[in-house]
Amino acid sequence: MTGDPPGKVMVVTGATRGIGRAAALRLAGDGARIVATGRDREAGAETLRLIEAAGGSGVFVAQDVAVEADWTRVMDTAEALGPLAGLVNNAGLFFVKPIEETSEADFDRIHAVNVEGTFLGIKHAFRAFARGERGGAIVNVSSLMGRVGYPGATAYCATKGAVSGMTKAAALDGAGMTPRVRVNALHPGVIWTEMITGQFGDSPELAAAFAADTPLRMVGRPEHMADAIAFLIGEESAFMTGAELTVDGGRGAD
Amino acid sequence: MGAAIAGDDGELAGRCAIVTGASRGVGLAAARRLAAAGALVVLTGRDAAAGAAAEGAIRDCGGQARFVAADQGDDGDWTRVISEAEATFGRVDVVVLNAGVSEMAATADLSLDDFRRVCRINLKGPFLGLKHGVEAIRRGGRGGSVVMIASIAGRIGVADHIHYTASKAGVAMLAKAAALELGPEHIRVNTIYPGFVRTDMTARFDEDMKTAAPLGRVAEPGEIADAVLFLAGDRSTFMTGAEMVIDGGWTAR
Repeated sequence: MTGDPPGKVMVVTGATRGIGRAAALRLAGDGARIVATGRDREAGAETLRLIEAAGGSGVFVAQDVAVEADWTRVMDTAEALGPLAGLVNNAGLFFVKPIEETSEADFDRIHAVNVEGTFLGIKHAFRAFARGERGGAIVNVSSLMGRVGYPGATAYCATKGAVSGMTKAAALDGAGMTPRVRVNALHPGVIWTEMITGQFGDSPELAAAFAADTPLRMVGRPEHMADAIAFLIGEESAFMTGAELTVDGGRGAD
Repeated sequence: MGAAIAGDDGELAGRCAIVTGASRGVGLAAARRLAAAGALVVLTGRDAAAGAAAEGAIRDCGGQARFVAADQGDDGDWTRVISEAEATFGRVDVVVLNAGVSEMAATADLSLDDFRRVCRINLKGPFLGLKHGVEAIRRGGRGGSVVMIASIAGRIGVADHIHYTASKAGVAMLAKAAALELGPEHIRVNTIYPGFVRTDMTARFDEDMKTAAPLGRVAEPGEIADAVLFLAGDRSTFMTGAEMVIDGGWTAR
């Protein structure tokens, strides 16, 4: 990449594993300079190593998306590289628990990360985009469970519904900015990551069971989501805002 | 609004319905409608004086009502509301989660505290109401109905309302997930999405904007209350996880 003009600056939250790491790698491969964030410093360093091994460039910033002060640090780091061009609001928590066992503290924690964290990302990205005066794009990683219910995931579904709602409100707000900012949502189906295996277990039998329950007869890989995120954050989707892209092997159509 | 009370003949005769945010607006209209259909109504709200007046108005029409001062977003308040409902009327059959707040703010200037305050009442509140309400409905062993009052902002974006939109879209999914979980116990969970209704909450919006719906007017609170009655009782027994949009055609545009 030596000699090329410096790439666009993009922040990817939850880039320490799963969809976030794949998105960071993909966007770096497309030439973006990545600010990868997450709570796990070791895993963040590994994401950075993978980016650099593939010839890309980026930095890691330890961040809890639910903490507003952390967002200030992330944007300071990003803008030191150049004007912010994109944000992938990917970090999220997932748990399955019956309603009666879901405590107020459980609800508060998943709300803090999935809803407040996404809001804070939008807010601070809007401010950075306004400073950069070049517009930009935000991709909020929601879930198929932000579109259809899942028994036992009531709190999670509520938070992802909220992400879809924020996407549309923020799309209208971003459309009113000069230059304009686009905001779209991605609804992943069952993607084989630690978020899924941590809750349900990690076995070929389980993956096969999910695949059998999906019209395309496969489970998704983080790279499938990275492709969709690259599309939504890039110029190919220049006429899209407030949209919800479902990438789920057909589960939501079933 | 002054409908005669149906008493023992009403379609909700003998059933207990909790209605949050019942001291005014849509909540009050719903409480009156349910009481008129024979329900034993527990009204909740944060304004004790307005709540007492609402309770009195229902009683004056011959209905059975009890107001409990409570904040929809407070877990401890819910424990109290349920125990008062069960102590007064012996059971809980219907929970109408109506209380909500709406505020306007530019996204880039919205403080986390303000965001959280709106979501606490509008999203965490319905979660807590669902959780406590369902436990009470289960004790009755007869199934029941939970009605969420969302908003068309749960389906479409509203500029400068990211917190309100988050909370209402969140409620919509809360209802769908809960419907799947509770279906086997015959506890139904449905969502009403009102457009602009003539209430204190919508007073700050421009009249021309509010009446831009194809029907050319705003809704009266009673028109939402009719839908609450429909979803609360036995006319909707095959409906769960459903979305009832009552917006004068707003979202069809």
